[in-house]
Amino acid sequence: MNDLSSLLSLILLTPLVGAGLIWLLGNKRGNLAAGISVLVAGVIMVASLFLLYAQWGGEPYHVAMPWLELQPFRLDLGFYLNGVSALMLFVVSFVGFWIHLFSLGYMADDSRKARFFGGLSIFMFSMLGIVLAENLFMLFIFWELVGFSSYILIGHYLKTQEAASASQKAFIVNRVGDFGFLLGIILTFWTFGTTSLPELAQHHSGATTAMALLLFCGVLGKSAQMPLHVWLPDAMAGPTPISALIHAATMVAAGVFLLARTYFLFDETALTVVGWVGTITALCAAIWAFAQNDIKKVLAYSTLSQLGYMVAAFGFGTLYGLTQGEGHGHGHAVWYGLGAAMFHLTTHAFFKALLFLGSGSVIHACHHEQDIWKMGGLFKKMPLTGLTFLIGTLALSGIPFLAGFFSKDAILFVTKEACFPAFIILTGTAVMTATYMGRLFYIAFLGKPRSEHAEHAHESPWTMVLPLVVLAVFSIAGGYFAQLPIYPAAVNEFLGQAVPHPSEDAEMTMLIISLIASLGGLALAFVIWNPKSERDALAAKARPIWALSRSKFCFDEVYMFYVNQIQARVAGILDTLDSLIISGVGTRVVPGGIFGGLGMFFRRLHTGNATAYVWWFFGGVILFFAVATRGFTSLF
Amino acid sequence: MPQLAFFSAISSFLEATHAATPTLAPLHLLIGILAPAICALLIAFFGSRLPLGATKAIAWIGFALPAWCALWIAGTYGAVAQSGEYQFLWQADLGLSKLLGIQLMLGVNGISVPMYVLAGIVGLAAGAYAIGSKVERQPLYLVLLLVMQSGLMGIFSSVDLFFYYFFHEFALIPTFILIAMWGRTLSSRKTVAMELTIYLTLGAMITLGGLIGLYVSSGAEAFNLIALQEALATGTAPTQIFLMLLIGFGILVSLFPFHTWAPPAYSTAPAPAAMLHAGVLKKFGLYGLIQIAVPLLPSGLAGYGGLLMWLALGNVIIIGFVTIAQQDLKRMLGNASVMHMGYAFLGIYAFSVMGAGGAVLMMFAHGLSVSLMFLLADAVERRAQTGDMREIGGMAQTAPVLAGLFIAGTMASIGLPGFANFWGELVIFTALWQSPHPWVAIAAVAGIVISAIYALRAVARIFFGEPKAELAATGDLQGWEKWPAILLLAALFVVGIWPRGFSEHLDAALAKQYPVKDVAVPVATVTDQSHAH
Repeated sequence: MNDLSSLLSLILLTPLVGAGLIWLLGNKRGNLAAGISVLVAGVIMVASLFLLYAQWGGEPYHVAMPWLELQPFRLDLGFYLNGVSALMLFVVSFVGFWIHLFSLGYMADDSRKARFFGGLSIFMFSMLGIVLAENLFMLFIFWELVGFSSYILIGHYLKTQEAASASQKAFIVNRVGDFGFLLGIILTFWTFGTTSLPELAQHHSGATTAMALLLFCGVLGKSAQMPLHVWLPDAMAGPTPISALIHAATMVAAGVFLLARTYFLFDETALTVVGWVGTITALCAAIWAFAQNDIKKVLAYSTLSQLGYMVAAFGFGTLYGLTQGEGHGHGHAVWYGLGAAMFHLTTHAFFKALLFLGSGSVIHACHHEQDIWKMGGLFKKMPLTGLTFLIGTLALSGIPFLAGFFSKDAILFVTKEACFPAFIILTGTAVMTATYMGRLFYIAFLGKPRSEHAEHAHESPWTMVLPLVVLAVFSIAGGYFAQLPIYPAAVNEFLGQAVPHPSEDAEMTMLIISLIASLGGLALAFVIWNPKSERDALAAKARPIWALSRSKFCFDEVYMFYVNQIQARVAGILDTLDSLIISGVGTRVVPGGIFGGLGMFFRRLHTGNATAYVWWFFGGVILFFAVATRGFTSLF
Repeated sequence: MPQLAFFSAISSFLEATHAATPTLAPLHLLIGILAPAICALLIAFFGSRLPLGATKAIAWIGFALPAWCALWIAGTYGAVAQSGEYQFLWQADLGLSKLLGIQLMLGVNGISVPMYVLAGIVGLAAGAYAIGSKVERQPLYLVLLLVMQSGLMGIFSSVDLFFYYFFHEFALIPTFILIAMWGRTLSSRKTVAMELTIYLTLGAMITLGGLIGLYVSSGAEAFNLIALQEALATGTAPTQIFLMLLIGFGILVSLFPFHTWAPPAYSTAPAPAAMLHAGVLKKFGLYGLIQIAVPLLPSGLAGYGGLLMWLALGNVIIIGFVTIAQQDLKRMLGNASVMHMGYAFLGIYAFSVMGAGGAVLMMFAHGLSVSLMFLLADAVERRAQTGDMREIGGMAQTAPVLAGLFIAGTMASIGLPGFANFWGELVIFTALWQSPHPWVAIAAVAGIVISAIYALRAVARIFFGEPKAELAATGDLQGWEKWPAILLLAALFVVGIWPRGFSEHLDAALAKQYPVKDVAVPVATVTDQSHAH
């Protein structure tokens, strides 16, 4: 026992205690629940910052105790803190707190407030568990728990049909991913005799492609990679702070975090698959974002696309790192993949949380209007929201010298070195990113108000604006870990070692590519979607392109066909067979004949008296016992 | 090894409760059986002359004492047994010893303690619910449930196999009567009860035949498990007996395709009877396989393991899909229960400490969660006046506490971590990888998707959306519905976050009888980083 493990226990268990308190208080004390939840988030942030700044020096630290033993199975409960988890701890606790604060204002009038904040605290507990977990089984436990908290929070507005189906969809799709993930963990356990991450990091020869890809199934579900991406856009049915915290900044990034935790188990084949899955997800989601009119849906597809970037960064970056070998240049080349991915995860957490909270501020101001074509002119009505949203848009578009530029740059660089076709696709996606974000910003914030609600919109209260400002600052400064003490020293050092840097010649090329992609995209959007336009020019003038984007390539339709036509029919047929053949013929007709005959005889003994049955029964038992004893004695 | 502050605090608290003296323990085993039986007799003889309140008070005693005994035994067992052996042995010669080798012999080991605790807790919850609910002829209702409870406590504390069987019958017969007299649908309850009687009696007879065959062929001097173990340590018994036990026990646990009695029985039975039967009594067969059939006849499992595997997969996959097709809530739960029994069978099939241990954890957890779900389903059905899930909706607004407990219970049932069921599933899945056919693990894990599909759809149908007007007047859970549910949920939660409380002794008991499967040579433990500061 020492300070570090006590502090980590405090960080992990505070939200659980908070959730328990909220549960005990019941649903009527909404304000108190909100206070507890925000206080808990504050304690988590302060404790995490204290730990990272003052207590932890950067050396990997791990501690574990047995939790369940059934020979040879052993499951430990413990913590493992290294550069990756320290960075993730910083992101979760820091962004988490500001989103909690924002929720105070956003959910002020909600009738199920206590439930919301209780769910938020359960989420923090589960998410921190993933971050700190010492072994894969423990990680899986919290992995399932974030899925559960996501389920109840998506279902928050439980009167609506969207909430009912979206929450189910999120949970079930994630379970499909977890099906592979759990098998991967089990395979890992039987291969190495342990799933402890620090032990695996040291002894991982014997890892196979199958193992890596099974573990990757978990990433497909949680980080919504194709083909398991369908749940994330629907998850926007939840309250907007949930979309910001769970479905943009932290939980969906847990898949990327898992990759960074287990990078050593991935061989070249697996890495190539991972890289391409990420690249294709990034591309497709960007295409789908063009035809969305719901402000949150645009951001949701953007999140999908950016998660694709992170996954691609991991795959191709690690491939690139493997070719570089240890000691080349600075830092650890084998960390390039996870470095680029985690770096983008971090900056994305800032600017995407900012964008979602900004959209929440807008939705709040426009009386829950989410259609961008009924907004417009909001920049003037809500200057702080508008300005911070602009910063988020620019950071996401990769405009040079904002946070998103640096992380996207690192990704494009490693992809260029490892797989040129993927580099072309991701650069093209970067242009599209700037375009759909430009469209969103021009239509919603510029021009003239297109509805009553937008006309009367005004700036949100300070609890909502302050988080926007803080996140905007980090969306600008988040990339300068090498120059500024943005992150705790140990985290800065980790990023310095892990994030790949182009050489000086290449740096200029990358800068120019980024500049052209981002500015070009924003300009293109301005040409197509003039802020003054009243209706979607793409839909009007380029119908086939719009329809293609709108179709989302029919994934949902195919899955619904499976659910309604195949699964339901198989279930129905099996149910019929079950009741007809097994229950009907097998246990009624055939034995019925036998017992019917016996019944004719036994009906004479039928007295209708319960006690009589009991005596007949025991008589039978004893008779049978006596006969059987003899029978068996003669048999054997 | 450094301990984590919070959990070591829990651990030392649990150890402190173990300090009680064990000498009274056998008495507790006896009280567990006799208390409900005596209370049942009291009500049966004096119930008509007593006010209903006094009858209920007697019933309370009859359900509370076994629960107390169960917790006391569980706490004390940890203090005395370091190796999972039988403890608190107590025997009474009833005059049958010379004739048939039978004597009343009580005791518990690491395998039976979880089941004994399960019987105590579920009995208390079902009893409290039965006492609180308004039913016709309540004294008789309570008498029958008390008789059931007495039998249940007897099953898991019997070492003698005749009494193990006897107590099962003792608990089974009231189940038939409860369904026939208090069943949900007037038109079909007699038929359902009759079918159940024929089916389960057949299963029980086959089981009895198998047990007697085992006894006779082993040449043991007494019909108890300890004597049989000694006898079979040197001798052998024919493997056909294993098949007999597998089928007999299988029928009682609804092994595919002998499962069709379960959904109609559970959807018809009054909730406390369904809770006691699905939650506890049904585990008789699995317990028999784990405690008796497999350790005594390992060659039998080797011979018929393939059959068991296919049938258990039938439970998980086929009945999983059948569950998806259900529209009636209780029927869905009945099918889901059949499906989850498949996991326990698969754990047994894995034939290892892990597999059997996972099966015991599964039995324990499933017993709690299924009784919780039958209780809550009853509460839902009473409010909605229907069990058809398509016709219910929006109940989260009229009954938020019910909704919360139902969602928690559903999550427990489908293996969400934090509840005991998760450990059962996880350990069984992991164990299956080392079974003769590792691909079975893949098929079994697919079950987690199937169960999520039907369970979450039920939640969405019943609780989401706008409530119907007539639902508004029904209100939320009342105390007598709420507290038994909370008790069950709390038990699931405690084992969910502290599985070691059971797994330690379970591990020790199983390690004597089951093989430990090889694992890759564990890599050198990382010592240089564990004390970095």
